[in-house]
Amino acid sequence: MINRIVKGLRDLARPVGQSVFAVLVGLSIGALIMIISGNNPIAAYYALFKGAFGSLSGWLQTLTFATPLMLTAITFAVGMKAGIFNIGAEGQVYIGAVGAAWVGGWIALPAGLHVAAATAFGMLFGVLWALPAALLKIWRGVHEVISTIMFNWIAFYFAIFLVGHLAGERAELTKPAMTSARYAVLGESLTSVIFVVIALCILVYILLWRTRTGYELRLAGSNPDAARYAGISVRRAILISFIVGGLAAGLAGAAQVLGGHPSWALFKGMGNVANYGFMGIGIALIGRNHPIGGIFAAIFYGGLLNGRIAMQAEAGVYSELVYVILGIIIISLAIPDLLAIVKKRFK
Amino acid sequence: MIAKPETAVSKIYVVSDIGGRGDLSFNDMAFKGGDEAEEIYGVEMVELISTTSADYLPNLRAAARDPDSVLIVGVGFLLIDALLEVAQEYPDKNFAGIDTWTYWTALDAGITPPPNLMDIVYEEHKGSALVGALGALLAIHYDKPYIGGVFGMEIAVLWKFEIAYKWGAEWAVRWYESNYPSEYAAEPSTSIVNTPIDERVLYTYTGTFSDITKGYEAASVMYDEDAVVVYNIAGPLGLGINQAVDEIATAQSLTQGPPFWIGVDANQDWVNPGFVISSMMKRVDFGVTRATELVRKGLFRDVIEESPTGMLLGIGTEVAGIPMDGISVSTLADLDEFIEMGVAAEERTGESVLPMTPDEIRTTAAALRAAQPSWIWDAVAELEAKIRTGEPIADFDGDGELETVPAATTQVAVDYWRAIFGTL
Repeated sequence: MINRIVKGLRDLARPVGQSVFAVLVGLSIGALIMIISGNNPIAAYYALFKGAFGSLSGWLQTLTFATPLMLTAITFAVGMKAGIFNIGAEGQVYIGAVGAAWVGGWIALPAGLHVAAATAFGMLFGVLWALPAALLKIWRGVHEVISTIMFNWIAFYFAIFLVGHLAGERAELTKPAMTSARYAVLGESLTSVIFVVIALCILVYILLWRTRTGYELRLAGSNPDAARYAGISVRRAILISFIVGGLAAGLAGAAQVLGGHPSWALFKGMGNVANYGFMGIGIALIGRNHPIGGIFAAIFYGGLLNGRIAMQAEAGVYSELVYVILGIIIISLAIPDLLAIVKKRFK
Repeated sequence: MIAKPETAVSKIYVVSDIGGRGDLSFNDMAFKGGDEAEEIYGVEMVELISTTSADYLPNLRAAARDPDSVLIVGVGFLLIDALLEVAQEYPDKNFAGIDTWTYWTALDAGITPPPNLMDIVYEEHKGSALVGALGALLAIHYDKPYIGGVFGMEIAVLWKFEIAYKWGAEWAVRWYESNYPSEYAAEPSTSIVNTPIDERVLYTYTGTFSDITKGYEAASVMYDEDAVVVYNIAGPLGLGINQAVDEIATAQSLTQGPPFWIGVDANQDWVNPGFVISSMMKRVDFGVTRATELVRKGLFRDVIEESPTGMLLGIGTEVAGIPMDGISVSTLADLDEFIEMGVAAEERTGESVLPMTPDEIRTTAAALRAAQPSWIWDAVAELEAKIRTGEPIADFDGDGELETVPAATTQVAVDYWRAIFGTL
């Protein structure tokens, strides 16, 4: 028993160590940029982390920023586990948000049922948008990077077209979700949708590591030939990874609408759902493509997104810097693999 | 209110919408106002940029939590819900929204409009009527059939621009008819005076305030149809319109329009001197400085109580008994402070923003204006004077009563006027 725990910790140490290393590299280069541009990095980071994690209200806001990122990280992570480079979360978030805004704002249902139905529709719409890329991959061998990028663009314009038909009294928003379709506000901007989100992360973890389907999916991803030899359908694994990814991304869109205090609606220019899909790729990499790792990575990056406000207000550092930091972290994450390649070459 | 130590500097916070810094119009104008408030009133301005809609609430809250903040300005109607929320959470702090209608949103939601939240609104229709007249007069001069307008999202504020722009064009045609009757009768068939009243203005709602390509596409079509001028009513999309003009200028080796375009919000005449004939300036910066002044004088909440639907800045408007304009058609005299805005943008981004040196901009812009006949400018000035007095000006809807420039803010009103001036 103890051996198992020790082994488990040892297995954990390496990936966590690599992520921590990458984060430190990212923050250091961020500091360097601040010094070059004449800012004080210590004051800036102090403001940033104090703003993000220094108080209860800071934590609540950080978790708000983290909520959609946990989910879009899953979309990418599950794809990677199945050997697929699925970057279609962005579009699936848009379409999921449209589904949630439609059921939440237009279809009156009893309290309790309404919020569940609107959430479920958001997830369903996310899956529907994920399916074409999955089927193109399975039937025609169309590379998922190409198809998902294209479907992201189609989703953007299609969603803008759709929200034109979901208008309420305000031109810039869809009709807000009815009170019965809203998640309760817990504090700051955080709503109870966070519980649904974490539950989904745990369910995906269980699916991947505690079920036969999950085992097959991971085997198909890590060694497709062996999987085929063992009689596992690689196509089925790919399909499942797209469906799970679509569910997660659809929920992210739904969460931004039904848990989107104070507007409870979708901004018509996609202003409250844009970019979470792309950020999720980075979050998944920091979280080592693991649903639980993704939760921690999302909270870390949610902290950066929240803390940058204090950083800008108190230290005068332009808040866009945190996007630079995320980019550097992602590049740094590739360093261990790069070193391994270099080592092999020059042995 | 808690007494503050003497040493504390009062801060005003300017929270942008997702357009952010660098749009050279709406948001940058608000920051410009913040800079001016720093100089005039000795406050410190803190900028908070929103990159997604999820930033609005935390940005406003961070501003409200600063014990030194005396005024928090949210720039743009996208911040309406967040402003309402945070203004109620922090009743001791003063909030202002540019182009917002929080008063009406609060009433719709069944809550009392917060006494610490001011909507700052503008008479865009008056300025749009003036540039509509300018456009039509240029079309008369150059014998062109159309004027154009590239709009952003179809929101109520933009309806004001659209209807008044068309109204101003009609005013110009009628003005020409009564002042130059023989020339009017002799106008060629391609002149705008011979275009039916409901076809004179080509316009497109692009649905975006950020996709510059759409501005280019929409404007290209209008110039192809031989529109003499295109009015930019979509902030950064003006850069797309400018691209369309540049293409024509390069193809035909022009150094001066036509074709022209008309800038919006800021003075955009410097963006492409020789081709930007003028700008409909909406002084968002004055909104910020004026609100700061009211806070400083302790009059902020009195003004909200007095005019709960918003502090109105326009042509010939007054706030707290003091004349205060917020809308004007750009003149050469306005150019310098906006060239400075471009210089500041160059310093900040390290990229080249100004198309030529400031001196060249001044000369080119002056030459452009001098190249147009003086009766065009006289007519625009005449309309401006009429608008300033507030007198009824003309009867274009045929209801037998003279009207001032219409401010169409409802679907009913916009449909009514489109029936006269044309629809898509």
